[in-house]
Amino acid sequence: MKSNDMGLIVKTMARTTIPLIGIFGVYIVSHGHLTPGGGFQGGATIAGAGVLLLLAFGLSEMRKRYNHKVYSVLESIGGLTFLGAAMLGFSVAFFYNTLWHNGPVLNGQPGTLLSAGYLPIMNLAVGLKVFAGLVSALAAIAAYRRWKE
Amino acid sequence: MMLPFLIVIPLFGAFSMPIVSLLGRKAREAWAVIVSLATLGVAGAVFYDIWSTKKVLVYTLGAKSPLGQGVDFPIRIVWEVDLLGAIMILIVTFVAFMAILYSIGYMKHDTGLEKYYTLILILELGMLGIVMTGDLFNFYVFLEIMSIASYALVAFRTDTWEGIEAGIKYMFVGSIASSFILLAIALLYGQYGTLTMSYLAAKMAENPTVVGKVALSLFIAGLLFKSGASPVHMWLADAHPAAPSPISAMLSGLVIKAGGTYALARILFSIYGTSVGMKTVGWVIIVFACITLIVGNAMAVIQTDIKRLLAYSSVGQIGYILLGIGIGLAAYGTNAGEIALAGAIYHTVNHALMKALLFLVAGAVIHELGTRNLNELSGIAKTMPKTTFAFLIGAAAIIGMPPLNGFASKWLIYESSAIFNPVLGAIAIIGTAFCTAAYVRVLYTFFGKPSERVMEAKDPEGSMLLPMIILVLAIIVMGLFPWQISEKIMIPAVDMLKDQVHYITAVIPNFIGGA
Repeated sequence: MKSNDMGLIVKTMARTTIPLIGIFGVYIVSHGHLTPGGGFQGGATIAGAGVLLLLAFGLSEMRKRYNHKVYSVLESIGGLTFLGAAMLGFSVAFFYNTLWHNGPVLNGQPGTLLSAGYLPIMNLAVGLKVFAGLVSALAAIAAYRRWKE
Repeated sequence: MMLPFLIVIPLFGAFSMPIVSLLGRKAREAWAVIVSLATLGVAGAVFYDIWSTKKVLVYTLGAKSPLGQGVDFPIRIVWEVDLLGAIMILIVTFVAFMAILYSIGYMKHDTGLEKYYTLILILELGMLGIVMTGDLFNFYVFLEIMSIASYALVAFRTDTWEGIEAGIKYMFVGSIASSFILLAIALLYGQYGTLTMSYLAAKMAENPTVVGKVALSLFIAGLLFKSGASPVHMWLADAHPAAPSPISAMLSGLVIKAGGTYALARILFSIYGTSVGMKTVGWVIIVFACITLIVGNAMAVIQTDIKRLLAYSSVGQIGYILLGIGIGLAAYGTNAGEIALAGAIYHTVNHALMKALLFLVAGAVIHELGTRNLNELSGIAKTMPKTTFAFLIGAAAIIGMPPLNGFASKWLIYESSAIFNPVLGAIAIIGTAFCTAAYVRVLYTFFGKPSERVMEAKDPEGSMLLPMIILVLAIIVMGLFPWQISEKIMIPAVDMLKDQVHYITAVIPNFIGGA
């Protein structure tokens, strides 16, 4: 039998670890303004879950679950959100952190989750963009062509 | 304040391109054209603002003032645009708009066009960022944005072997050049503890160090790579022919100038300014300029591939621009130096226009005939008269025929080099002789006896012809008022570029020092 996925043990382990990697990545992204890490690190971690899916279950499974258009749109939503957050305080200056200075949200006590103005938004945006970008890039490379024509 | 829109609009256009392109091909093309047209409009407003007020425009990201609270040094990223920057902004947005307009017809048969338009907008964004930034690390980031977009665009046609080969070569060479620049920035940061260009200039004037000089040599090395100066021009001669023609037009007209000669002039004049021996640095640049002039133009004569010929001609013209910058440094404060610098800036603009035109014409020829070999292109004047006429104008302008724009800028460089050192004048003339030989050869082919292959060719469609017509008109109109343009725009640009104290005080108002 010719199969391009890995064995039962690897697949079972992947089933349990993929959600854990995803949750940990989301934690890194959402606590970017409080703990080490941030958008890029968290996004790359979540993309690691995607890579594990690709490796453990093979390209055929990945093809079923990966839609190029969706990821492309997700990536551009990430970029647009970042740009939008940078434009929020445009009446003062580009990248002016108006959420932090004037509210209404994300201007809590420093050290709490809802603080730091536009930073959490930008971390989420960067995380989304990095995740979508890395997964699309790796899916495109995996699906590219075969070794020979 | 219009300045941030130069970044916001192309960035918005590029980020939203994958969403817009879900609506189909027409929407994506229209979106790219609208975005680049809007950027051109903003660029025109910014240029007019700076030109009419003669002020250095400073924009701070994140707050109203670049200075930190209670301290008198800048802590934020600033964008600082003087007249030279404004000229570059205008020419970058103009040529990018022409290239995008041209792409509609030219890239019709290619796939993956949503990536193409995203990348071309990112390329424009990177160049705009380079020319408007006043922060050294910001400069590096935009340089990388521009470089990576151009690597991807050179290798855009992945089904051709030469696209991949040129892309790999360009990427390896360009990454090494970028890492030189990053290393130089790291050294300067370690020594002076700031990345703001104007504050760095002030600190460097107070305390010139060896580290600063090492960083300068790394900057010069990296930026000469990026501008395609000899002896490190080899990536250029592969990259320009392999790229799609609108990209060649942008690479040759803009990328090697925004990321190469402009950045060199900015770093040499605005950061290092008077704190290094300008004569020595000037002569280093002059030596490379002379090699570049001769090698580029001489290699252009023997090419049989039309785009390779134009690429080598670009190397040769970069030699003129570098010669102008070099003499501007070596003869700092004299009349000759000022004229040379004005000539260099003027030639940057002129060469961007005429090389863009020539590459667009070459693209039209390739699009119609499917060959780049000059030996098979004889007699296309019969079947593609408009295209040939555009080439004639472009070639005459690049050689420096008097009624066209290339004349004035080359004249300024000849004149100043002859005053400064007659040997340099002679070298510049020899370069032009080779350049003339190369273009006359192409024209002779174009006007020759029509070959079999050429007979069923015809002029390209409207969307490809329109950018060529606009560029021809720009070249002719600019050629009619050469000295007015030189007097009203280029000389003030030189004055602002040389005024390092003003560049510093625009950011740090209470800076007092012997810069």
